[in-house]
Amino acid sequence: MAVSFDRARLAPLKDTVAIVGVGETDYAKDYRGAGGQAVGKGEARYDSYTLASRALKRALDDAGLRKDDIDGLCTGGTLSGERASEQWGLNPRWSGGGDAAQCIIEATLAINAGLCTTVALVYGNAQRSMDTAYGGARVTGGAITSYFYYAPWGMTSQGALYALFFQRHKLLYGTTEEQLGAVAVAFRKHACLNPNAVMQTPITIQDYLDARYIAEPLRLYDYCLINDGGVAIIVRRADMTRDLKQRPIMVSGFGWSEENVDATQLRPRLKSFYHGAHHDVAAQAYPMAGVTPKDVDVFATYDSFSVHLLASLEGFGFCKEGEAGAFVQGGRIEIGGDLPCNTSGGMLSESYMQSWNHQPELVRQLRGGLGHRQVQGAEVAQYVHDVAGKCKSLIYTRGA
Amino acid sequence: MATARPVRAMDPYAEQFWAFTLDRELRLQQCSACGKFRWPPGPTCDRCLSDDFGWSPLSGMAKVLSWTTFRRGYFPEYPPPHTVLALELAEGPLFISYPVDIEPTDLREGMTLELRWTDATDKFGEYNLPVFGPLRG
Repeated sequence: MAVSFDRARLAPLKDTVAIVGVGETDYAKDYRGAGGQAVGKGEARYDSYTLASRALKRALDDAGLRKDDIDGLCTGGTLSGERASEQWGLNPRWSGGGDAAQCIIEATLAINAGLCTTVALVYGNAQRSMDTAYGGARVTGGAITSYFYYAPWGMTSQGALYALFFQRHKLLYGTTEEQLGAVAVAFRKHACLNPNAVMQTPITIQDYLDARYIAEPLRLYDYCLINDGGVAIIVRRADMTRDLKQRPIMVSGFGWSEENVDATQLRPRLKSFYHGAHHDVAAQAYPMAGVTPKDVDVFATYDSFSVHLLASLEGFGFCKEGEAGAFVQGGRIEIGGDLPCNTSGGMLSESYMQSWNHQPELVRQLRGGLGHRQVQGAEVAQYVHDVAGKCKSLIYTRGA
Repeated sequence: MATARPVRAMDPYAEQFWAFTLDRELRLQQCSACGKFRWPPGPTCDRCLSDDFGWSPLSGMAKVLSWTTFRRGYFPEYPPPHTVLALELAEGPLFISYPVDIEPTDLREGMTLELRWTDATDKFGEYNLPVFGPLRG
């Protein structure tokens, strides 16, 4: 792809917008449900708006802002922007939606354009109690995507697509299943330090290897959870963040690039592990923030599957291509290691909020005071979002 | 009675692709302007945006890129274990299928497989499904 982004126009956007408030629902408590029993699939107890509303209220309280301070709204998950606005009594001057990274980038652009000053980004998804399917006949909503095009051959589910991805990585580089297991073990260890994480029981590498395959070579612990929850993030023009309750966390760099050519054929997935998009995003985000991978103190990646971390580490230059299996060994990606990754437990072990729960965790790490879960001296945090080659990244730093 | 398969994604272009399989012909659209093969079927060449195309027969030769074995069942038509292949066709496009006459443990990266056919039916009617097996020599 031609290099078409303009570094000179991106640079002045550094630190112009900050995250001033975050809110999440009680993932663990809601998962366990009444009487300590896990909520069964299809046992609807509330809807996405219930969860999103709780998260929004908590984020406003966290920021020390009132509902009437909000003049922009982004919605994610299964929320409709119109219904969400109506529910919360908002007439936004600007609205958007999508995944968390997309919403933060778009809100930053809207704020810089002068359309609004204070944007609520809100996600809600009652996917467990509503029994959402991510594989099989019920995902065939009619759109032609790689998700289900190959159903006649028995191919389905995002997990199987990432199983093909990891099998290819194994074949090319000799990466082992035991090496991949270090990712699930590390994220679970982090979850056990996070009282709001759904999964609270430590696992060993042997537990990982003993667990059943789902789509071989991926096992149970390589897959994310399916649970209910809501997340809200309040972003605000940086010069309006003084005198709020929390230290502002600056949006210092970002990038966006998608590899969709031959996506259904799985060409970018299997031929280059989406590194084309990773390199393009890295070329935008790091120079904008004025940092390099070496400066990143705490890292988070979209982790619907453990494999995502290998792809991100290689694609963003934390290690060479083919070396991520070795890189994640020996505690390097754990709290206390060189590059703590997905410190909340991520979507594998904290909560499957489809990119949304990673942002509050990075914000909390930069604010400090997380006790045993705190990454000491964290000043630069990075989130990498890569869902089937739709890649974005955000770099956050501590504000004054 | 042909073997039931999970339902195909159907549109006017896919319909033509599957119609050829009734005669056990594997054909893909090829752009008349620039020659690029395309898969899945669609209205336009993604390289040059021409909408002129023909349906070119393929050699049926493919190399193995990757595979996965389902240990959890998703479709009643495919009880586990069921192995799916990612292939690179000799003509260029990548193609998803499943292996026949070979055990998953005998699959190798870069191994050449050739086209076979198996019967199939869904709500759109009967057709043949292109699958891949070892060279017969």
